[in-house]
Amino acid sequence: MDTKISKLILTLTVIGIISAIALSFVYQWTTPYIEQHQMEAREEALRDVIPKAQEYEEVEKEGQIFFEGYNSGGNRTGVAMIASGPGYQNIIELMVGVNLNSQKVYGIKILTHEETPGLGARITGDDYKENYIDKPFGDYNVVKREPQSELEVEAIAGATISSKSVAKIVENAIEQIQDVYGGGA
Amino acid sequence: MLKKLFVDFKNGLWRENPIIVLVIGMCPTLAVTNTVENGLAMGIATSFVLLSSEIVISTFKNYIPNNVRIPSFILIIATFVTFTDYFLKAFFPDIAASLSLFIPLIVVNCLILGRQEAFASKNPTHRAIADALGMGLGFTWVLVLLSAVRELLGMGSIFGIEILGSWYQPMVIMVLPAGAFISLGILVGLMNYLKRRGN
Repeated sequence: MDTKISKLILTLTVIGIISAIALSFVYQWTTPYIEQHQMEAREEALRDVIPKAQEYEEVEKEGQIFFEGYNSGGNRTGVAMIASGPGYQNIIELMVGVNLNSQKVYGIKILTHEETPGLGARITGDDYKENYIDKPFGDYNVVKREPQSELEVEAIAGATISSKSVAKIVENAIEQIQDVYGGGA
Repeated sequence: MLKKLFVDFKNGLWRENPIIVLVIGMCPTLAVTNTVENGLAMGIATSFVLLSSEIVISTFKNYIPNNVRIPSFILIIATFVTFTDYFLKAFFPDIAASLSLFIPLIVVNCLILGRQEAFASKNPTHRAIADALGMGLGFTWVLVLLSAVRELLGMGSIFGIEILGSWYQPMVIMVLPAGAFISLGILVGLMNYLKRRGN
């Protein structure tokens, strides 16, 4: 048991150095793939939330990143942003695309979440996301029945918290977009 | 000699199965077994980490002073876990997204450290490989069985493919943490019963 302290330090240092070197190679090898997946996911999300655009541009306004979609004529057809907020288990991150001319939401796309599989995780399903297609701007009411007014969002059965969280994140995102871009186009 | 290796291998499958007999590594067992895909991926990832760290530790055990044995093991395990994390994120992004933070948490899975202490640090490399394969497979088959039961009852599907028709009303509790405790408890009880009858 009387190993010299210098030997203990040496052992841990050697292991630490070897593992750091090995991991830096792994990092270099995997990073391009990981970044590519993230970019693809973002592009796919943009195509979903600003459907009519041909080209997308990333712009920074007031410290926040927005994505603007332009059609073939060079006109801006929509604005999108990545927004996040607390869900049931952890942060939900999603993308919201809006049409500033008609003051309506194009659609939403969930990017990351850790909601309960089979329950809250259904926020990624089409049934729930359809709630937001062509939704007018405003304060949303999450209801547990068929929506009767335009500002009502139908909750997922058994996952009211997740449903409300998403509605809240979308509301806040729209407000932020309106603040920066003003009411009009 | 081969027979002895087979005994080491078989040990983890049943007699000293990490989940149902040793009852270690409960955190991933309860948390990620809500779908078969998650259960299987977790089992494979854990087995890979277990195998690589048992190989390294059993090979270099004579150079690691006893006083710093635990931190050394953790460093080695953490290296392989980080590798697994990057690898899954780069090549299996969907699985990485659904397992998310449970991959980095393999570092603190007591199954891994436990096998280094109990086996790899005392036995030669070839026996450590047999032990890691047995324990890894033993861990994986229980995860897959547990997640199959939970996914089937909780969502009516296996591997995301619908098995039970639309007449089936999913038992939502099975995909929630409570369902994990219930099904694991029943499974361990059943195994104990079978074992007692065998004796």
